[in-house]
Amino acid sequence: MKASVRPYAFSIVGVAGALVIWQLLAEAKVAGTALPPATTVFTTLATILGTGTFWSSLGATIGIALLALALSAVAGVALGLLVGSFESVKYATLAVLEFLKPVPPIVILPLAVLVLGPTAEMSLFLVVFGCLLPIVMQTVDGVQGTDPVARDTARSYGMGEGEILARVVLPSAMPYIGTAMRVAAPAALVVTVVAGLLGGGPGLGQNIYQAQAAGDYAGLYGLVIVLGVLGLLFQGATRLAERRVLHWHESYREVVPR
Amino acid sequence: MRNWVIGVAAPVLLLVAWWFLSADSTDPFFPPLQTILVRFQELWLFEHFQSDVLLSLGNLFLGFVIAAAAGIALGFITALVAPVRWMLDPLIHFLRGIPPVALVPIFISLIGFGTQMRVTSIALAALFPTMIATVDGIRSVSNDLLDVSRVYRLTRKERVLKVLLPAATPQIFSGLQVSLQVAFIVMIASEMLGSSQGIGAMTLLAQQSFMTADMWAGILLLGVIGFLVNILFSLLRRRVLSWYIGSRRLARAS
Repeated sequence: MKASVRPYAFSIVGVAGALVIWQLLAEAKVAGTALPPATTVFTTLATILGTGTFWSSLGATIGIALLALALSAVAGVALGLLVGSFESVKYATLAVLEFLKPVPPIVILPLAVLVLGPTAEMSLFLVVFGCLLPIVMQTVDGVQGTDPVARDTARSYGMGEGEILARVVLPSAMPYIGTAMRVAAPAALVVTVVAGLLGGGPGLGQNIYQAQAAGDYAGLYGLVIVLGVLGLLFQGATRLAERRVLHWHESYREVVPR
Repeated sequence: MRNWVIGVAAPVLLLVAWWFLSADSTDPFFPPLQTILVRFQELWLFEHFQSDVLLSLGNLFLGFVIAAAAGIALGFITALVAPVRWMLDPLIHFLRGIPPVALVPIFISLIGFGTQMRVTSIALAALFPTMIATVDGIRSVSNDLLDVSRVYRLTRKERVLKVLLPAATPQIFSGLQVSLQVAFIVMIASEMLGSSQGIGAMTLLAQQSFMTADMWAGILLLGVIGFLVNILFSLLRRRVLSWYIGSRRLARAS
């Protein structure tokens, strides 16, 4: 028991040390007013947390991220099953998918803002653009990784193509899809913030832009801290959900300690 | 054979369709592909090549190299010295939770709009994926390897350079790949937020002044750069990790 306490003690020292250094640097005015002291930031943060605009921004951010994630998951898995099931479709889409994969949504942000304006739809579109492809690619990999013996067995039991897809192919692709979703969830949050910050879409990104433009540095730092916490929550929640949904798969089964 | 024909024909068909469908387009948002390509050539080859394209790419490269070197070094220290790891762990995970682009406004307020700010933003945002991957890579080196190196009485330096570094390289490279993507995103974001130079800035300015063809040209260039940078990195990875890729293939074949 004693040995496991030490890491936590060090962690507390680390966090406290960082806060003290921050406070001292700010008090010494190394960056003028651009680096507000930690105490000021936390009191400002407390005021921000008491306003209704903050909570509606937070709601907009989370809502857009989750809705876009759900849309990408449904469309991505459907497209992935289609592309993975037919060789010719796979080859026809290969070049386009490979080209678009390393292109982040920020690249088409100007186009999205031009056509859709600084709206929630614009943010949604960008997040779906960013999350869809990785889910499609992983689903394709999952479909192609299906054990051919299991597929043939299902066929010899007289299952139709649709039934094989639902009962054999989809379950065996689930771990791949789970991995894609675990990567996509934090990315959805990031893109939502980017769409607000650079494109003027609703949510916390927009608030950060306004704080920076108005020179409200304490508010800026406070909002970035909120985003850090939110990012951690998203990562934790998706990991938990993945384990919940995929508990039956061998790579997720928990080892029972003896 | 048939599949390759489809693979090559599909994207070509798509481009041809774009060319002809947009040929007499008067839609202000979707100008003819021909106009876009003409503007592409006028803008980037080579009028703004030196002033904007090279500037952006230089920032990207510099920021990424700093992030890679610092990330691997910090990763080694964090992984090998337990107290440091315990101290930094919560901080790193918190900083990683922040969207990298959200750090850009902070750096603008601290350093201003110059090149320095952009390189710093890129380097700092791209640091974490490499650092975390390095820590994971070293922590997952098998105990057998460590025991063997102890039996052979390798010095600390030999152990780090000859055992830990090669064993962690595959993971480090996955981290570097993520870092490169983050660096590319932050490069664009740092230019879009209030600077007037660079490909990202030019693209956003073109959009705000409704010069749609210029905006499309910028998007095309950024897309091509994102694609090419990724390919270059994959080639580098294949070179450095050829032993690892080969051993994986052998393991799978057996």
